[in-house]
Amino acid sequence: MKIKFAWLLAASMFTAPVLAADSIKIGLSGPFTGGSSSMGVSMRDGVKLAVSEINAAGGVMGRPLEVVERDDEAKNELGVQIAQELINKENVVATVGYINTGVALASQRFYQEAEIPVFNNVATGSIVTKQFAGADFKANYIFRNAANDTIQSAMIAEEAVKRQNFKKPAILADASNYGQLGKTDLTNALSKLGVTPVATEKFNVGDTDMTAQLLRAKEAGADVILTYAIGPELAQIANGMAKLGWKVPMIGSWTLSMASFIDTAGPNGDGAMMPQTFIQQPTTPKRKAFIEAYQKAYNIDRIPSPVSAAQGYDSIYLLAAAINQAKSTEGRAIREALENLGTKVEGVVTTYDHPFTATDHEAISDNIPVFGLVKNGRVGPAHPEDLEGDKALRIKPKA
Amino acid sequence: MQILMQLIVSGISVGMIYGVIAFGYQLTFSTSKTLNFGQGEALMLGALVGLTTINFLIGQQIGTFWAYVIMLPVVLAFGALQGSVVEWLGVRPAMRAKSEAGWIMATIALGIIFKNLAENIWGRDALKFPSPLPEASLSFGGIRIQPMEIVVVVGAIALMLGVEFFNRRSIYGKAVVATSNDRDAAGLMGINTNRIITFSYALSSMSAAFAGVLVAPVTLTGATMGAVLGLKAFAVAIIGGLSSGMGVVIGGLILGITETLTGYYISTGYKDVPGLVLLLIVLSLKPSGLFGKAAIKKV
Repeated sequence: MKIKFAWLLAASMFTAPVLAADSIKIGLSGPFTGGSSSMGVSMRDGVKLAVSEINAAGGVMGRPLEVVERDDEAKNELGVQIAQELINKENVVATVGYINTGVALASQRFYQEAEIPVFNNVATGSIVTKQFAGADFKANYIFRNAANDTIQSAMIAEEAVKRQNFKKPAILADASNYGQLGKTDLTNALSKLGVTPVATEKFNVGDTDMTAQLLRAKEAGADVILTYAIGPELAQIANGMAKLGWKVPMIGSWTLSMASFIDTAGPNGDGAMMPQTFIQQPTTPKRKAFIEAYQKAYNIDRIPSPVSAAQGYDSIYLLAAAINQAKSTEGRAIREALENLGTKVEGVVTTYDHPFTATDHEAISDNIPVFGLVKNGRVGPAHPEDLEGDKALRIKPKA
Repeated sequence: MQILMQLIVSGISVGMIYGVIAFGYQLTFSTSKTLNFGQGEALMLGALVGLTTINFLIGQQIGTFWAYVIMLPVVLAFGALQGSVVEWLGVRPAMRAKSEAGWIMATIALGIIFKNLAENIWGRDALKFPSPLPEASLSFGGIRIQPMEIVVVVGAIALMLGVEFFNRRSIYGKAVVATSNDRDAAGLMGINTNRIITFSYALSSMSAAFAGVLVAPVTLTGATMGAVLGLKAFAVAIIGGLSSGMGVVIGGLILGITETLTGYYISTGYKDVPGLVLLLIVLSLKPSGLFGKAAIKKV
């Protein structure tokens, strides 16, 4: 076995240069181990599925795509190292990925300087695509096809206050950047609807006892809990409510769809609601084909993080369309093609019709996500009527 | 009133955990004047070994409750073994070299190695530990407690009483007490003090591993679960006094209850602050801890 491997290695050393000149290298950075790994792994598997489909159909400009994947472990410093390696050593033409806003913000500047496009397919921080936008920069190389936190927090506020008529929300957010920036977005979104949260509570990542936070929310008379945190602590909130014998609905950011929340909260997590760009249900032919291909390729029934998988998959098709249109793998040409995409790309989340412009690098608009609902260990649509008939396919309005 | 009681009850169950881990610090400190900075990792390893064992037993069609009971001796034995390894690799060479601080670095290094090992074996996700008792909470006059939280408190007290009983009543225990009182004199009386120190490390990691499987059903299990708990327990050991078994229990309760009370009455953002302020006050007024005996170092 060892000898075989050595031979393979030796053989690949000789063949690699030929292959490298031939294939188009795309970087992939995300956490494949650690607390956010369910999102990272699903995203990676979605990306690889799209790449294998494209290669089976003849590749891009007659050349196969090649993914160079690196585990950033959700650590900023590791993300920076990987960015430098992918740019300077691997010579990638573009990089897709990033689950964590912090890692994206720390790493993207290297791509911006090297004029290589970055496609954020999961990270949601509002600032991610704005880091290099504005008059100070000639061009912005950062794109995204995920629902950002401005969209998500507005949706959460709208759902809680308008659609479900709750008047006394309590916000529970973790002490990380994700939680605290989300908390600010949520407070702003609520104040636009004329509502002030009755309690705003904080906890640390890794906290296991939520008694004090929940009792404060309860005593303030909260009728709904709005969350901005990640899986394990969200599960502690749901379990803590069950312990205190107090049950109000939980509505929060899309992390309430994380497997670590659904699995550790068990029945206590039923009823939690969150914005989703994709729900694992065959509501369009494209979604049906995607779900079946994913299940077949990875031999699983439930996609750990369906949103990440779908967005990862779509990001590759968007990028491939741009490279095809640019007829070049040069970063500047790809960026220009992305900003003026002439072909309609039929993706899993939506059909992308001219998704970006020079000033708008967000492919997902606020009309695209719908609310998901946790039930029996799965995320289904909270309002099935939102996905009925022609509403199933939601397309970004033309600017 | 009901809220105050609820907060105190939650504080007690959190504080008891801190207390048991701090008790482990106290065990080794009394015999060897050293302590295991990887105590949090010992707890984490105990919980993860327990998780693998209990899942294996459940796979053998044994009910969760009995699987938990059968798992306990396995985890205790593993804890004892792990503690002996720490003493053998980290502490004994430093003591032999009469190094003042070598054991500090060695036990920290071992802790990091254990954490990386656990990450490679069990991954870095938080895992759910099957609960041997129903997870629905019980209500006592409006104060709600999970059955497992009662087990945590009772189990912690039982462990500490067991160790105390052993020390006071058995001949081996008396050897431990003699070594804590005066190591040189104990050595002259024919007690193998090296073996006693190894034993105290085994006992210390055993209690940490036990604490691990006690908390795991309430919290989650994972390679990083030990870091925060180990640090809190260290604060507890300083508040209560490293030389007093009773002191660390009370220190644990004080810290646990202050945390939940501050979280509710002041702000959840400042939950950890009063405990640390208390630590500073104790250090400046009574450096040996609330219940510690002041050590007189004869030169």
